[in-house]
Amino acid sequence: MAIPEGPGNMLRGPMKQEHVCLERQPSLYKSLHTFTLQKEKHYQQQYGDMYFLRLTKLKPVVEEIAAEAWDGLYISGEEVEKVDRVLDVRQGKLCWVAGTIYMHMPLKPNILTDIAKDHWISAPLPPTKYLSSSSEDIIMLEDESGRIPLTGSMLDREMLVTGCIVAVMGTENAEGVFEVVDMKVPDLPPQAERWNTSEALVINGTKKAKVEDADEDMDVDKPVPGIRKKLAIISGLGFSGTFSDNSLQINLLTEFLLGEVLDPVTQASVSQISRLIIAGNSIALDEDSISHDTIGNTKKAQKKYGYDASAYNPTPTEHLDNFLATLLPTMPITLIPGFSDPANVSLPQQPIHNAMFPQAKSYGLIPAAKGEEQQPGWLDTVTNPWDGEVEGWKILATGGQNIDDVFKYVEGEDRLGMLEAMCRWRCCAPTAPDTLWSYPFQNDDPFVMMSCPHIFLTGSQPKFDTAAIEGPEGQKVRLIAVPRFSETGELVIVDSETLETEVVRFSVCS
Amino acid sequence: MPRRRSRSSLGPTGTQSTLSFSNSKVHKPTSAKEALSKSTAKFISSPKAEHTLDLGHITSAAAVASQAAIELAKPVKEKSIEELQAEKLTDGQIKKYWKAREAERQAPRVHQAGLGVEEKILRLFDMSSQYGPAIGIARMKRWVRANKLGLAPPIEVLAVLLREEKKGNTGIERAHVDELMSAKFVIGDT
Repeated sequence: MAIPEGPGNMLRGPMKQEHVCLERQPSLYKSLHTFTLQKEKHYQQQYGDMYFLRLTKLKPVVEEIAAEAWDGLYISGEEVEKVDRVLDVRQGKLCWVAGTIYMHMPLKPNILTDIAKDHWISAPLPPTKYLSSSSEDIIMLEDESGRIPLTGSMLDREMLVTGCIVAVMGTENAEGVFEVVDMKVPDLPPQAERWNTSEALVINGTKKAKVEDADEDMDVDKPVPGIRKKLAIISGLGFSGTFSDNSLQINLLTEFLLGEVLDPVTQASVSQISRLIIAGNSIALDEDSISHDTIGNTKKAQKKYGYDASAYNPTPTEHLDNFLATLLPTMPITLIPGFSDPANVSLPQQPIHNAMFPQAKSYGLIPAAKGEEQQPGWLDTVTNPWDGEVEGWKILATGGQNIDDVFKYVEGEDRLGMLEAMCRWRCCAPTAPDTLWSYPFQNDDPFVMMSCPHIFLTGSQPKFDTAAIEGPEGQKVRLIAVPRFSETGELVIVDSETLETEVVRFSVCS
Repeated sequence: MPRRRSRSSLGPTGTQSTLSFSNSKVHKPTSAKEALSKSTAKFISSPKAEHTLDLGHITSAAAVASQAAIELAKPVKEKSIEELQAEKLTDGQIKKYWKAREAERQAPRVHQAGLGVEEKILRLFDMSSQYGPAIGIARMKRWVRANKLGLAPPIEVLAVLLREEKKGNTGIERAHVDELMSAKFVIGDT
């Protein structure tokens, strides 16, 4: 029966407007297991092995760069010569040598202050920076043979921390201190092209059929041009059992990512987000459960099975589990642990166990059948630091502990400068194992970057910052410092074609 | 009334016995055990006792022994080129290598009178810091690691290690400095 559409007639027929059902873009993803440790871990070895491995891997590289720059160089009539070991440096002789930097800082954590803590009420608060105002900090160059202190105006300009491999050119003066004239770092490692970084990528856990093409050396289908995908990165969600002021922001974030809010245009752009990377610190640190004083704590908590059950609060992980379980049906998530997350303390942090997420773990890893390759689950819990390939780009992501530790060694607040310095040192955690707790690697130091990532991001930073740096061979890296969501309410979105970033801020008017 | 079971530890007062987590014996996975027993005929008793108590995580002796066992338990067809080359070396070549090393120094080495050529060669390898620290790592593993990193460790060292393993001398895998550095002396013991 036709509905008369005259004026004043309130009755209307069914709408003929077709609604477009938006579908989220599939995510081409591969997680590399560079930082995964074996189940059986040994701790009897010393950390000297790690420094040896790092130096052995990077010394040839930095020596090549230094030889190119300084071989055959004459300074005031004297020729610069290469010296093999740090101890071979002769006084008054102009030479260059490669080694590891060691910074001697009295404000660094010291075992003596830990012992002092046992005798007094509480230890003094750890300093925000290890740099001391007076000239008590000594920068030294070290290798297997020995150490030599460095000096010179060059050191003030160049950012240096313990553990970075450099080549220095200069001479040893009468006090036995090496005066630095010039310094070289390994600079950015070689970078593979996009889509060429390794073998076939996997779409959301289902393996695509290999394209048999003799001409091309990549065996993955490139996405249809025109549909630009995006990558969402967030950090510092800070689910807490005691602090819930940001629960409305988290709710808005969830609705935004699900495409439930805002207008169809924004929803269409949200559907381009193919994956969410959570870069650390999803669970906030609970200060109350940590007892800070050892003496004077006369109230003995009832300990059953060796731990105090009353101090455990399951609500933060429940909130995180709910958050993940709400998002997982529509989008794959990569979960990187951070400093305050329930994972091990020392780097590289191993993936958060699936048992923490009773609802979300059904989206996790499905063990592969015999003969089939293991596909990553929709919820991929990964290590910290993590490297993987998303949409053909190689990503190196960390939870922020490495940058926070480097921050303590250098002056200034420029965290992006520290990220860039790490790329140029080719080491993503140079201060491990000195002040950053780490596993004592004996066979290989995975923190050394052998290939250059396209995106280097770090989570849990005080504010958002991004830059694009270039290397000597045309390498291009996008550096991203992801801010803490619990403080800033910001979500970072990276365009997967141009690697441009944009920020979406969620805030509640109060 | 049912017979009361004897309590295993003095816990809080109550009829239920408590679980004790202090003396749990953790056993290493059987694959490492099998590898150990396969590759060594005679085995020193004290590392074996430490092995079942899994103290390899903190003391170096058991860890070094298990590292050596893993390195040597590789099946025959996986033998690397270097191992095949090392096995071809003769006694004379090894002695010639050592003579060349001794000729590099002007004065003879002290405190090495009672050692055989094999141990002398291995101690020189331990003290060569360009291959990394020698403590906390089995000599075979250190050689393999140095080879993989492209540092070109002398093939004679590998030959000596393989020969000693064939003889069943498992104590050879641990560097002498490792034993010195991890030696413990209890005050009051004579």
